[in-house]
Amino acid sequence: MRMKIKIGTGMKMGILLLAALLTLLFGVGIGSVYVPPTDILAILAAHLFGRALPEHIPANFSVMVMDMRLPRVLLAFLTGAALAVCGGVMQSLLQNPLASPFGLGVSSGAGFGAALVIVLGLASAGLGTFLLPVVSLCFALGTVFFVLLLAVKLDRRMSNVTVILVGMVVSLFCNAVMSLLATGSPAHAQRIQLWQLGSFSMREWGAVGALFPVTVLVCLYFQRYAAELDVMTFGEEQASAMGVDQRRVRGRLLTAVAVLTGTTVAFVGIIGFVDLIVPHVVRRFFGAAHRWLIPACALLGGTFLVLCDLAARTLTPPHEIPIGSITALLGAPFFLYLFFAGRKEG
Amino acid sequence: MDRTVMLSVENLSCGYGKTEVIHDLSFQVRAGERLCILGANGCGKTTLLRALAGVIPFQGSVEADGVSLGGLSPRQRAKKIALMSQFSQSAFDYTVYEAVMLGRYAHRSDSLFPSESAADRDAVQDAMRRTGVWELGEQLVTRLSGGQLQRVFLARTFAQEPQIILLDEPANHLDLRYQAELLESLRDWSADGKRCVVGVFHDISLALAFADTALLLEEGKALACGSVGELDEKLLDRLYGMDVRGYMKRMYGRWE
Repeated sequence: MRMKIKIGTGMKMGILLLAALLTLLFGVGIGSVYVPPTDILAILAAHLFGRALPEHIPANFSVMVMDMRLPRVLLAFLTGAALAVCGGVMQSLLQNPLASPFGLGVSSGAGFGAALVIVLGLASAGLGTFLLPVVSLCFALGTVFFVLLLAVKLDRRMSNVTVILVGMVVSLFCNAVMSLLATGSPAHAQRIQLWQLGSFSMREWGAVGALFPVTVLVCLYFQRYAAELDVMTFGEEQASAMGVDQRRVRGRLLTAVAVLTGTTVAFVGIIGFVDLIVPHVVRRFFGAAHRWLIPACALLGGTFLVLCDLAARTLTPPHEIPIGSITALLGAPFFLYLFFAGRKEG
Repeated sequence: MDRTVMLSVENLSCGYGKTEVIHDLSFQVRAGERLCILGANGCGKTTLLRALAGVIPFQGSVEADGVSLGGLSPRQRAKKIALMSQFSQSAFDYTVYEAVMLGRYAHRSDSLFPSESAADRDAVQDAMRRTGVWELGEQLVTRLSGGQLQRVFLARTFAQEPQIILLDEPANHLDLRYQAELLESLRDWSADGKRCVVGVFHDISLALAFADTALLLEEGKALACGSVGELDEKLLDRLYGMDVRGYMKRMYGRWE
């Protein structure tokens, strides 16, 4: 009886992996100029193994793929994977399918930091490309740390309700300060607003190099805690009684969520809804158990965001639609549908 | 009859933050025994269970089958004592089988891709058959009725293979038949070897029918502890601040 399901799950994971690889390939291929998949593979082989580039491929294709499209697509994939996995973990930790890692104050903290850098005029200097992500990551982590500290102070058991409420209050406060900063300097307001919607444009290998190790390590860390996460979805009290060192595990996982979400926000800005929809869809197909949920969220989240980014940069050339608007446009109605469809059956 | 002491509580105090709820409490439970804790609302019944289950810290000494809980890791403790609490539902679609399998957490080791051992599967199947939920294996816990869910959680508690089961109002919201079945399977379980049950019940008559000993708790202190058969009814009246026998007679008179 159980064997059947296991084979099924493995198959589904295989299909998801294949879809992810194809999406990556076509994500790199599609754009102002179409690069066929075989050419992309040849270019990759040329760079990775030092093979000679076949003559029929123009040299500018190679530059376009390696320097522009590939880093952008990889960045989108990593961001989607990171946000979806963090969303899934956050929902389990707070036992709430509507919870989001942004609820800890990650995004508003990062936004506050970024706004500060932009308003102070530090972002335009050569230093800015480096300073903006670093400062916003620091602010994101600082805000989460403050939220957790305050939550423990108010309620030593750090119950879900306390964490959610404190996160909300601190987020709203940070957002208010950010709005104040934007109103105070109208010249920078638009830049702040654009940053808030997120973007993968103008990104280089540096961002991929930073996000890749963090994403992989944190996802493996979550995978290690898959069993604990399963137990913890059934309630804090029950988890303790079943042998989970609940408070310690929760503290560690919340910190890991903050680090990963904070890193993505620092590089690409705030991209909503991926963290809400993807885990929801994955649970429908893979069930709620985390040993499947985590890898499936990573694959589907990455695939989803590469597709969204493809739409963002190809629908209205030469202008780009902010990626955050695309995910919200697709995500909000889809989420409502999922939510109400689930309600009716139950 | 001299049976092994399974649970030995000495000078236990516990509470929340600076508020102490249980003061200097001592009692023992022997193998095969079913102890019910009686007391008015807010006397500390649930708090006591939470301390024993490791949910909140305590002062004093608690020994389970001769081993002090103080020195045990959460996993080791969970192999000795399990808690079936009032509120435990997942918002996510776990199957019944998966939910019962979670009871095996304490018996498994950390790994990136943990696998179920034959012992895990046997324990889960045995627990599910005992509680009559084996047929529900593939159903989702979010779609079960309250009665089914309570049986699934009892199965999960059995799968944990503890020696001591703590019950917090296990029969709440259950139809009479489910109530009877639940208590029957707990009675069978406790009669088998070095095991015992400690339960908190809202309903005194249910408690006294299920348990063979009672601990009367008044404002966090033990008022009395002893066999249910020899229970001093005056103490019950004091505990609940009313004429318990008179009330029960009026309530249940029509069945006599």
